Amino acid sequence: MPKLTLQFKDNVVGEYGMEKGKGLTIGRLDSNDIVIENLAVSGHHAKIDSVGDGYLLTDLQSKNGSFVNDQQVTSHWLQHGDRVMIGKHTLLFKYEKGEERPASTGAPAGAMDQTMVMDTGQYRKIMEKAGKTTDPGSGLKGEPAGVLSYLAGGEGEVEIGKKLFKIGKSASSDLVVGGLMTGQTAATISKRPNGYSLSYVEGMAKPKVNGKAVKESVMLKEFDVIEIGNVKLQFVLKG
Amino acid sequence: MVVVESAGMTDVGRRRKGNEDALYLDDQQGLYVVSDGMGGHRAGEVASELVVKTIRDVMAGFETPAAVDGSLSPVADRLVGAIYEGNRKVFEAGRGKDAYRGMGATVSAAVLTDKTLITANVGDSPIYLIHDGHIDQLSVTHNVVSEQAAFDPEAASSLGEDVKYLLTRAMGIEESVSPDVFELPFFRGDAVVISSDGLSDLVSPEEIQAVVGEQTADRACRTLVDMANQRGGHDNITVIVVKIKEIKQRGLIGKLRSGLARKAIGFLQRYL
Repeated sequence: MPKLTLQFKDNVVGEYGMEKGKGLTIGRLDSNDIVIENLAVSGHHAKIDSVGDGYLLTDLQSKNGSFVNDQQVTSHWLQHGDRVMIGKHTLLFKYEKGEERPASTGAPAGAMDQTMVMDTGQYRKIMEKAGKTTDPGSGLKGEPAGVLSYLAGGEGEVEIGKKLFKIGKSASSDLVVGGLMTGQTAATISKRPNGYSLSYVEGMAKPKVNGKAVKESVMLKEFDVIEIGNVKLQFVLKG
Repeated sequence: MVVVESAGMTDVGRRRKGNEDALYLDDQQGLYVVSDGMGGHRAGEVASELVVKTIRDVMAGFETPAAVDGSLSPVADRLVGAIYEGNRKVFEAGRGKDAYRGMGATVSAAVLTDKTLITANVGDSPIYLIHDGHIDQLSVTHNVVSEQAAFDPEAASSLGEDVKYLLTRAMGIEESVSPDVFELPFFRGDAVVISSDGLSDLVSPEEIQAVVGEQTADRACRTLVDMANQRGGHDNITVIVVKIKEIKQRGLIGKLRSGLARKAIGFLQRYL
């Protein structure tokens, strides 16, 4: 397994063994695996992930940056002999003698072809730190939520809070509408990776979007007007 | 009643020694699953097999797992439960044996119920829906470049080639996992395509749509795998094609008939 040697000027101040499958963090705060107490070092400065057969250094948007062999990097596949500069400290990355090393073409052998996973916990932490809340349950990160606002036949608005939102005469519908020709489930609205779509399901009368009858399904655009049975709704995006 | 024509195929490709992809399809169950494994020394194969088998078993089982998400229909909820279970199994296997440490897999699953198509995925294996001359992706790509692009397209384009395609979510890496789930009605003439990135890296959605539109499900799988191999076949290639041929209205008579048929089959199985 490769080793990291922490140096300040010409003195060795620490040694850290890397392990396959285990990443480590570098920074000024005690919560890091490699703590460097120096004001030039950010609280959470950089991290090294074990990815496949290689090791990937990522700068955590540190104030003074991370450098490998005098080049500033945001991410870098570590190779034998690399000198990583964090503030005024140097981390030397070296494999043991005779130890198998990944190919020296930057990424480890076949990194482009191989399916590999990042240390997801750490990835999420960086995202959160950067003020980007990733809601792991939703595919529509940061995207606004769809809302149906009554234009006629009711008042207020209803959020499309389900993956499959049912509109119809049936009392179990998410939005109940009246009308003689309206189906028990007249239409459904589905959340999709790229927005919302409305589909006709059953009943003599088809739902209309902007005055046009929907035979199968259509993607909804903001401010589209939907008519089903005795109600008229406007599709709005919120948030 | 939904009448479908489906086919699935997996191929080692041109550059790999082993095949770490796994797939499962069953029209009776209405279940279609692709999983792309990762991890050295055959661990990737173990992971993807485990994912596919666990989902098959949970979906075929009679006990409904506890509801996980109130915003989902019961079947979608069950599929999410099956993915949780698959994740747990791979995670535990990964901890149990040194050779399996760090193994993982993607999963992309589709379930056809009488009225809706439910999809769920973790990782970067795409699920496409072809409807009315359009092809749409019904899965969310969980890799660094896609997640970055969701809130900061500029930062995403400046990412190094070496990190772009690393997965941000996968089965078996952590104790829990959260799939992206979608549910929507389908129509006669629609087609669902699930693949591993060995296909989608080399063949565009539009090309997939054209092939699936012109050929039988079986033939289309063969053609798509051949196309990926002709373009280098750098990874394992897996594809499932499901075509919706007919949707039979389930009126009162239909319901009675299928109810009777089920009883008759049950009777025969019990007493013969």
